[in-house]
This record gives sequence, structure tokens and C-alpha cells, in this order.
Amino acid sequence: MLNRRNVLAAFAAAAIGLQGFGMSAAPASAQDIIDASLRLKWLTQAQFAGFYVALEKGYYKEEGINLTINPGGPNLLTENLVATGADTFGLSGGTDSVFAARDKGMPVVCIGVSHQQTPFVFVSHKDGSVQKVEDFKDRKITTWFTGANHVLSAMLSKVGVDPKSADIQPQQVSVTPFVDKQIDVVTATRYNELYVINQRVGKDNLNLFVPEDSGVSFPRDTLIVSEQTATEKPELVERFLRASVKGWKEAFANEKEAIDIIMKIAPTLDRAQQEFMLKEVKTLMVAGKASTDGLFTIDKAAVGSANDLLAQYGVISKPVDLDKAFNSSFIDKIPAEEKRL
Amino acid sequence: MSGIKASAASLPVFSTGRVYAAIKPILWLTLGLAVIEATVVLFEIRPYYLPRPSAIAANIVATPGAYISGLWRTVLETALGFVAGSVFGVAIAIVFHRWTLLRELFFPLFVVSQTIPVIAFGAVVVLWFGNTLFAKAVISFYISFLPVTVNTLLGFNSVDPRQVQLMRSFGAKDGQILRRIYLPAALPQLFVALKLASSLALVGAIVGEWFGDTTGLGVLLLQAMYNENVVGIWATIVVSACLGMGLYSLVALAERRIVFWGNEQ
Repeated sequence: MLNRRNVLAAFAAAAIGLQGFGMSAAPASAQDIIDASLRLKWLTQAQFAGFYVALEKGYYKEEGINLTINPGGPNLLTENLVATGADTFGLSGGTDSVFAARDKGMPVVCIGVSHQQTPFVFVSHKDGSVQKVEDFKDRKITTWFTGANHVLSAMLSKVGVDPKSADIQPQQVSVTPFVDKQIDVVTATRYNELYVINQRVGKDNLNLFVPEDSGVSFPRDTLIVSEQTATEKPELVERFLRASVKGWKEAFANEKEAIDIIMKIAPTLDRAQQEFMLKEVKTLMVAGKASTDGLFTIDKAAVGSANDLLAQYGVISKPVDLDKAFNSSFIDKIPAEEKRL
Repeated sequence: MSGIKASAASLPVFSTGRVYAAIKPILWLTLGLAVIEATVVLFEIRPYYLPRPSAIAANIVATPGAYISGLWRTVLETALGFVAGSVFGVAIAIVFHRWTLLRELFFPLFVVSQTIPVIAFGAVVVLWFGNTLFAKAVISFYISFLPVTVNTLLGFNSVDPRQVQLMRSFGAKDGQILRRIYLPAALPQLFVALKLASSLALVGAIVGEWFGDTTGLGVLLLQAMYNENVVGIWATIVVSACLGMGLYSLVALAERRIVFWGNEQ
């Protein structure tokens, strides 16, 4: 009996899912509430707190959007899901993944940049052999081959070290090999891996190498929509951004409550780690141009430098047309004072 | 932990009554856990490598809601995928057995389908079915049906053709022969496959949950893995193992009830 009910429920759910194809943003009822979904780049965590706060507090409802937040996962490419219309909005990997998608001809547009600075740093042991970027030569380094490797190459080239002279390996999930000193340099996002490394090695025993110090910038965590949504429903995009900005401001104004909301959805998370994450995410989101122009500002200069970097290393066949890939008209409609913290 | 239980089960049994038989697995399990706990403490194994069993238990008890709702969700996905996979597997076996041409045409395709890694296939399933329970059940179905088909076909082949000829000479129809001879003959083999499929379906459901979901054991596993929450990883492994053993025992119980004559021919 129970089984049959579940089968039916599953079929119903699947039917709704199918219906959502390509028209997930179609008006759902006479009350002019629009169904839409946001696909995150990863599982529920404080990195996405603002969206969850906006949802919990009904900010999306106030803007007439019935939003569903879908978490991401490994092997799920947000650009793909947004380009096919399976999801309306996406918080995708970053400028790197947007460029790669545009280079492949995927019709996605970035409507806002969340992390204004490179969110990851390279870390070495203070008592180890790597004290400055020049020391990376001949050392064992692990990094992510999804863009971070090119940031590393650029940093090395700037100080005259041939990237090929370093032993650069793909980085696995765990930072344990670094903690155990099996490798010399590890890549760490400021909001996640760095927390684990700080806990296990001690903050004072680490050297941090910041890409911006080498003049390399790689903004990440980009909000994207399909070209179709951008041209056919500009007001939906604008309303989504307004509610999201409001949610993020609320999350930063009341961090404890924001963490409560996240912990309610994912109770097995480590609260202290999530609090650290929110603080770090805040630093990244209000850095650079966002300090004057507000959250989700698209800094064309920073984005452009990432564009050149990727083209230089042959990741994309040629520099992408920035104005087509990054549309700041939606976020610019919201006055700066509303977006600033 | 399942290894300990299995080795305990294979030990010679000196039966001293029913009570002992009933509590024996629990005794062995407790003893095994105590040994692990003592080993970890004595040799000062760092929690990143192997946390103490008591720490794992404490982790589950600290947020029971997450584990219970995760378990329930995964059970539903697994059950749906398992039942669909088993029914489809048997049905395809019947079709392939009845129409040999179809088997020659399509069986290789089925085998090829199993060589595609689920990880590659999962992203497509999410694209098609979204973040629904149904999508996870599809993955679970996908990796559980082939063993059922293969084993059922094997069971069908074990039927003595003279028995079938005898039935035919009495004017039995195809459906009757299927029900009276082929299916009963295939049952022992089928249950071997179902036991396999129950574990595979669970794996399918857990992997399916890695493609963007909010609840389920797979989500807990992924979250723990990427936050380097080793105790959390182990807690999820323990819960998944219990679920796997539970499903397996259910199928084994059904086997003992249905195939009461055992595997003898």
C-alpha cells in the first residue's frame, strides 16, 4: 500500500519535473507567482546562506517568485542545467566555468559575481621549504585542475618560475597529505579547506600565498541565467537579484540566524565551521568593487583579467566576448546603496 | 563491522539453547566493537584514520533526525529501484528466453549499458528527471536489473527439456509451462540475483543522491567527505551498512519462505 503510494508520488514528482522543462519560469497561477529554481554549485552550506535566508524570510515570495533551491554535487555542471532550462538560475563555479561554457557555445549569461576576489589561496608549512612563490620550483604542489591550476601557473610565471618545473598534481578531497607533510603546497578555499588546515596545523604555522598579491584575480561563484531568460523575462531576473541581495544583507546583519537556517537544513554540519565560512564568504563578497558598488557587482576589469588568463593558457580557444557573457544591466538597476552592506 | 558478523556466523556453532542463539550475533558485535575501541585507544590511532566506535555512535545520536530522514529517503529510493529492477529483470528474461532472436539482438546492448559508469549517467538523469525521488530510483533500477535478467535466464536454462515436452504433450499452453516449470525452476537462481540486486540498488540510490539533493544517506556521506568530517563519514557508513544488511536479510527471509525446497534439483 505504502509502496504504491510512493510510486504514485514519485511519478507525480517526475511529471512535475518534466513539466518544468524549458518553462520552469512560466506563470503558475493567476496570482502572478512565478515558479523558478536556483541550482547551487555545491551542497547546502553557509557559502549560500543569503539565498536560504531570502527563501526562509519570504523575500522571493514578496518579489512574486516561488523559488526552489536545488543543491549541486560532483559531476553536476550548473551551466549545463541552466542552459537546458532544467534550472532557471544557477550559482555556478565562477568566471572560469562561465568562460568555458561560453567558449563551447552554451547560451548562459552571468548576471552577478558573488566572490569578488580569488576565493582560494596556496598554503605551505612555515617550517617547510616553501617560503615564497619562487620556492614552488621543484616542490610537490596539489591544486584543482578546474582553473586554480592556471592561477598557479600565472603566479609562477610572474616570478620567472617555469610552471613545468614544479610537480603539480590534481588535489583530492582531503588535505591530510598536506597536514602530514607529504606535499609542500596545497590549494585551499578561504571558507572551507583553510578552516580544516587551520584546525589541524595551526594558523600560525602556515604561509599563505594570495593570487591577488601576484596580480592575478579569479572572481568565482557567478550567478547565471540562460540567454532566453535574460531576454524574455528581464523583470524576473531583476526581482530574483533584488530578493537575493536582500537575503544576503540580512544574513550578514544577523549571522547567527543565518547559520540557524543552514543548520536546520543540514543538521550534520559543524556549526563552528559554518560560522567561519560565512565570515570568510562575507570578506570575499564585499571585496574590491563590491565595497563601493555593492553585492554581486560585476567588476569587468577583474573578470577581464581572468578571461585573458584562460585564453593565454589555451583553456578557451579565444577570449570570450565579455559584454555578451557578463550582463551587468540587471544588477545595475538596483541602486548601490541598496546593495552595499 | 559486517565482516565481523559474517566471520562470527561462519564459526562452528556449539548450541547451548535458543537464548544463546538469539543473542550470539549481538554478543559478537559488542565484543568486536569493544576490541576496535580498545585498539584505537591503545595504539592512539588518530581519529582521521579511524575514529572510536563510541564517537561514531555519539555522532549519530547527536543529530538523529538527519540520519533517520536520510535513511528513510534512501530506503524509499532503494525499494522503488529494487522492485522496478527485479520486475523488469524477470520480464526481460522471459522475453529473451521466449524469443531468442530478441536476445541475440538486444542482450549485448544491455551488457554495454552496464559498462557506462553511473557517475557519467547520473548527470543526465538529473537533467531528465530533476531532483526527484524518482530520479534516484531510476539510477538504482539501472544498476540492479541486469543481474536479475542474467540469473533468471540461467535458471530457465536449467529446466529439463523433457519436462517441457511432457507438459506440451498434455496440451499445456506457453503461459502454463512458464508458471509451472520455468519460473519455479528459476527461483533459486533468481534469489541469488535478488540478493545481489538489493545491495546494488542501495549503491545506486546512494550514488544517485550525489547529484544534488538535500536528504539521504548519500548526501550525508558527501557532506561529511568534503568537510573532512571523518566521524560523520563513518557514521553514514555504519547506517548504510545496517540498511544493506537489513535489505539482504529481508530477501534471504523471503527466499527461505518461498524456495523452501532449497537449491537441490
